[in-house]
Amino acid sequence: MKRRVKENLIAYAFCAPAYTIFTIFLFIPIVWVVFLSLKDFSIVTFYSAKFVGFRNYLRLAKDQIFLRSIVNTIYFTLLYVPGNTILGLIFALLLNKPFKGRDFFRLALFIPNVIPMVVVSIIWSLIFSSSTTGIANRILISLHLKPIEWLSDYRYALIAVGIVLIWSGFGYRMLIFLAGLQNIPDELYEAAALDGATKWQITFKITLPLLRPTTFFVITTSLINSFQVFTPIYIMTGGGPGYSTTTIVNYLYTKGFSEFQMGYASAISVVLLVIILALTFVQRKIGREDIIF
Amino acid sequence: MKSQNWWLYVVKYLLVISACTFTLLPLIWVIVRSIEPDTGIESYSLIPRSITFENYPAAWNYPTVIDENVTLGTMLFNSLFVAGIVTLVSIFFDSMAGYALARKNFVGKKVLFWLALSTLMIPFYAVAIPMYIITIRFGMYDSLAALIIPFTASGFGVFMFRQSFLSIPADFEQAAKADGANDFYIYWRIMLPMVKPTVATMVVFKVLWSWGQFFWPLLVIQDYSKMPINLGLAMFRGHNITRWGLLCAGMIVATLPILVIFLMCQKWYVEGLSGGLKG
Repeated sequence: MKRRVKENLIAYAFCAPAYTIFTIFLFIPIVWVVFLSLKDFSIVTFYSAKFVGFRNYLRLAKDQIFLRSIVNTIYFTLLYVPGNTILGLIFALLLNKPFKGRDFFRLALFIPNVIPMVVVSIIWSLIFSSSTTGIANRILISLHLKPIEWLSDYRYALIAVGIVLIWSGFGYRMLIFLAGLQNIPDELYEAAALDGATKWQITFKITLPLLRPTTFFVITTSLINSFQVFTPIYIMTGGGPGYSTTTIVNYLYTKGFSEFQMGYASAISVVLLVIILALTFVQRKIGREDIIF
Repeated sequence: MKSQNWWLYVVKYLLVISACTFTLLPLIWVIVRSIEPDTGIESYSLIPRSITFENYPAAWNYPTVIDENVTLGTMLFNSLFVAGIVTLVSIFFDSMAGYALARKNFVGKKVLFWLALSTLMIPFYAVAIPMYIITIRFGMYDSLAALIIPFTASGFGVFMFRQSFLSIPADFEQAAKADGANDFYIYWRIMLPMVKPTVATMVVFKVLWSWGQFFWPLLVIQDYSKMPINLGLAMFRGHNITRWGLLCAGMIVATLPILVIFLMCQKWYVEGLSGGLKG
């Protein structure tokens, strides 16, 4: 009996440091943010915060800019998720079997993912810079097309950010697909080849169906990521022109940390939390449970 | 049949090479800008007009305009320091918890494991406001501690270490126990060395992640001497738009360390990805 107690205590001691950090910086905040969303305060008026019930949420429901930020986030998602998934899948299929230069190509496609997002955003804001100075417009001009105000035209700004995040992200998805491809046993391919199946048949009848769990995983994690896009928009467009590129997290930042309406920003946080948890729930329920990140 | 394969090959190479051009061209462009004399006129050529290294010392010293004691070196040090400590401490904490979850039997083990997994689902942005308040209350605002302490444990790390400890046969542990070794000794000297691949993987993941942080430093750091290099670059971007050569040199300084670390540890990164996929 005494040994049992000791065994328990030792295990808790091993867990204590990590779980203390989790408790202070994740578990307490996640409960607290719900309470904070029912108050009206800034960091200065924190101790005299007014309890306002659901008023922040009612305000959110009528806030045109917030609704706009949700629409923007969804629009961005429609570029980001298919772009990354499809390019990742295509290049994983192309770079799966060994051939000359394969490892170099894999690295070259993945490398943008290692570059810090701030640097990525600055590089691309130079490339997309206005009128005729940026290379993006130089290329358009050399193709005899009209230059575009990439980042200051409300029609193109979010597309430009989408291009940047596909540039930096599809190589990562490619690596995940490659890892998924490794789990498909070679015998299946060999058997199909013996039966006289063509390359296309093998790809569409064997590879893609067997990759379905990986594909599902890539799509759902990309969805979760794209609902949390912040840095590139903060640096490249600042949410503008107008509010045409303001996403949920950018709006959260503006309300909470530029205008210091922290109660209101907490309500935005809770909405974000609910969206992400719903997406994660779908992922865990429908997807394979043994995939982790 | 033969000619059809030949065509497929050409199409494959064409696709792959154009994709590589798309990913590499912007990077080459930045390198070229950083070694070309900065005349204030935006240049888009991929061949430098002439080569100079003036942009690097200029970028290095640029922060002194705002605070005479701060150079890019100060910020580079901050980033390295934060990434180093976060990586070391969190690997220690994660592996300890992962070890207990894999190897010990105790009350509440299932709950703790589930809690570690649940941390993966919490979006960081959604807890930013309470975290910000807690950081201020702890007196960590505007200090490197604010960039380190909240990130010294991760559910992802706990999970990965648990998985790899589970795969190690119990014999080693029992032999050491029979010799009277204490629990910490068994974890530290016997078990941890056996999961070195996981340690290596976690080093790459954590360094990359910590180096790339932007949102949180933006919230809690104001003093230029405490800024990680990425935040510093974003600040300079604000008032330094015309000097592209200098900006590009600064970006290369901010990227080079992480790029070198990644290239050295590529193998572990890729293994981590497939490991996470297999679960």
